[in-house]
Amino acid sequence: MPVAQTTKFGRISYDSGEAIDFPRGLPGFEDRRGFVALQFEDTAPLVFLQSLEVPDLCFVTMPVLAVDPSYKLQVSCEDLEEVGLSTLSQPRIGKDLLCLAVLSLRESGPTANLLAPVVVNLENLKAVQAVAPESGYSHQHPLVWEEAPVCS
Amino acid sequence: MLMMSRREGETILIGDEIEIVIAHIGRSRVKVGIRAPRQMLVIAREVKLVREENLAAAWAGAEIGLDSLRKFCPTPQVFPDRSEEVINRQEAGPNLERIPS
Repeated sequence: MPVAQTTKFGRISYDSGEAIDFPRGLPGFEDRRGFVALQFEDTAPLVFLQSLEVPDLCFVTMPVLAVDPSYKLQVSCEDLEEVGLSTLSQPRIGKDLLCLAVLSLRESGPTANLLAPVVVNLENLKAVQAVAPESGYSHQHPLVWEEAPVCS
Repeated sequence: MLMMSRREGETILIGDEIEIVIAHIGRSRVKVGIRAPRQMLVIAREVKLVREENLAAAWAGAEIGLDSLRKFCPTPQVFPDRSEEVINRQEAGPNLERIPS
């Protein structure tokens, strides 16, 4: 089983069939292709997109539908082709693909990048950060949490 | 801002090294070809925003510990649709050998 060194999680082992491949990297990290998605019970619904190449490169993300349950995904034909999805219809979140919003954990409050969700084809684990300028979503969408119910 | 009218197939030159070709004019989109020196970064404006946002997110993500992240998850979220199922399928594999406390 391949092993990756990570700053946040120490050494992790993963199945090579679970490595996510970004053929073009992500904007700003064009050379970084290999990632794994990690999720833990106590930090759900966060999903950590950990680089397999750079130990301290780890994006904190969240499923877009957890940020905005009515999120409308728009992926360009180029991006659909990039990850091997059909360009005949828009893919469905959950069914065809995993769709994650990259979070920026600012002091002023966390924001989610809904302008450019990370789209992972679940069939082949190819991924792209799909910039959707016509979607009208912000790259700094404020994250608003509902108050947690107090357990007694 | 300098405004120029161009037809499909016509070209604009910026200095000696940059050439912009109006390759195709569609109903609501224009396809533009750009020839520029290799070391010059040519990206769409929104990609620049995403690039800057990714760099900031990666820095912040590296700085913050798992403990601090828990405060961002105050309540188990209700996942609409089937996304939770999908993620669990996705996440089932990578085993953590060590998780910082």
